[in-house]
Amino acid sequence: MTNQQMGKSRKPFVVGASAPFSALKRILRTSVNLRGGWALIRGTWASWLQYRSFFFILAFGWMIPPLIYLLVWATAAGGRAIGGMTRGEFVAYYLALILVNQITYSQTNWTVGDLIRYGQMNRLLMRPLHPLFDALSSELAGKVVYLAFDLPVVIVLALILRPEMHLTPGNVLAFLPALLLAWALRFFWGYWLALLAFWATRADALLAVQDSLVFLLAGQVAPVALLPGLLHSAAVALPFRYMVGFPVEILTGQVDPVGLALGFAVQLGWLALALGLSALMWRQGVRRYSAVGG
Amino acid sequence: MTEAQISVQSLSKTYRVPVRAGGLKAALKSLARRTYNDVHAVQEINFTIQQGEMVGLIGPNGAGKTTTLKMLCGLLHPSAGQAHVAGFVPWERRPAYLRQISMVLGNKSQMLWDIPPLDSFRVIGEIYSVPPARLRQTLDELFDLLEMAELLTKPVRDLSLGERMKCELVAGLLHQPAIMFLDEPTLGLDVSMQLRLRRFLAEYNRRSGVTVLLTSHYMADVLALCPRVILIHHGKLLYDGELGSLAQKMAPFKLVRVTLEDGRPLTEDRGGIPAGAEVIEANGNHLTLRVARTAAPEITAKLLQSLPVVDLTVEDPPIEAVIDQVYQEGVQG
Repeated sequence: MTNQQMGKSRKPFVVGASAPFSALKRILRTSVNLRGGWALIRGTWASWLQYRSFFFILAFGWMIPPLIYLLVWATAAGGRAIGGMTRGEFVAYYLALILVNQITYSQTNWTVGDLIRYGQMNRLLMRPLHPLFDALSSELAGKVVYLAFDLPVVIVLALILRPEMHLTPGNVLAFLPALLLAWALRFFWGYWLALLAFWATRADALLAVQDSLVFLLAGQVAPVALLPGLLHSAAVALPFRYMVGFPVEILTGQVDPVGLALGFAVQLGWLALALGLSALMWRQGVRRYSAVGG
Repeated sequence: MTEAQISVQSLSKTYRVPVRAGGLKAALKSLARRTYNDVHAVQEINFTIQQGEMVGLIGPNGAGKTTTLKMLCGLLHPSAGQAHVAGFVPWERRPAYLRQISMVLGNKSQMLWDIPPLDSFRVIGEIYSVPPARLRQTLDELFDLLEMAELLTKPVRDLSLGERMKCELVAGLLHQPAIMFLDEPTLGLDVSMQLRLRRFLAEYNRRSGVTVLLTSHYMADVLALCPRVILIHHGKLLYDGELGSLAQKMAPFKLVRVTLEDGRPLTEDRGGIPAGAEVIEANGNHLTLRVARTAAPEITAKLLQSLPVVDLTVEDPPIEAVIDQVYQEGVQG
């Protein structure tokens, strides 16, 4: 059989609005095996607990950059305010950011490419459970292990550095969905990038780019409100702020009602795109994978 | 005859592989424009397998065995042709299909590495939605058959290769699949572990009626387990039938073993060996000759006349030799 014939015998790929959504429906259909998914999470968690110290060290590493910027801004602010934020408010902002950054960081996506490269995807594809569950399970298992390290550290830092935060029930109520959406956005944005490993061998370079952009534009180097002109506009429009900074800003009371509504709209928009791209990459990727062999 | 559980029609798989010569220049050139070769891994193979059969899929490295298995378990789309397994098209990979099959690979693991096997089995049981009571019962039976009670509490990474293989089999069987694909299940195992696994597979097949399609490079696996073999080579099906008849069909020769009178130096008798008989082994006064199957009666008669023979047997060549010949030379005649 020639290549041309091969091409013909495969279903043509139709680009259309319905393609990602039907793929998404398919994922949902094969993953309504919630018991299986939950068991996988518990299993992964149990294996990860074997390596507590390793993950604690990773968590410590991730905590360092925000901690440095906490100290930089808190020192710079001293007794006065910068961009309307006092020393204590910077401390509160960065302590919240350490936790939010940890909760939304998707370390799992780094391993998705490896699974594809080393042919371990075969094992996952043969289970009557969507492989996305494998990623979600280590994702959830990871959160528990990392937070077991981060929470006590942040509490101790809070006792030492005296943050200034005016929590209102409204802020907390808006913070929770924003946090959940931030995690979903960061996870699925990384997931579709990771799935490029179906085509390119070292797609994880793109994950490193994402990490850099998050560092710059998501409120880590500085709160987004303090970013200068063009950078500020970019941060507000691009998805990265909505992966980390947005929920932190809500919690620390920096977002007004209009900004809140707008922020949620942009966050949801990017999330929809990330979900669509993930489903599309998955469908096309598996098709390619099963055409060329894992 | 009932409907076949596995049926394969004109199944083909062609890989498109980028090619380039070695060296920097070629590497740069391939960045701009790639050239591809078509590799015909599997070409128009046909076979059917009934429920409960144990079939050996044999062939040299690169013959297309694993490609065939991967298509049947749904990991690969074929380039052409059809396959139906348990009423499903494998590569649609429907959950209902995946629950009916199991693929056990000698070199890949589905155990969670850092926790005891029992925990992995529970997770896998949940993934396959096995009710807890049935899971316990199935596990007890498997542990018993495989004699592995003592392994259950050690983390998988502390287990030996053979112990791990036992775990892989349990992991592959705890959802009670109707069909099992086994790819090199005894790879790297010591002789006694191989024997125990073979005994287990035979017994399990007898008890559960599971259909088994097995690839192995150890002919002993195939001899012990598979009354029927499918031989593929260069992606083509060369033989499908009883293992016992393979020699007849594939090796159109017989081995004649001759013992001569004591003390007769063999060199003196070389002249007495009839034309058409090829000496493949000479050891003291024992000779092994290879003769064409059809010429065997005539040549043995001549041998008895011309040499001081005290013992003579005519036999089919050992299966390994036949397979080796097929692998080396392709089919004869």
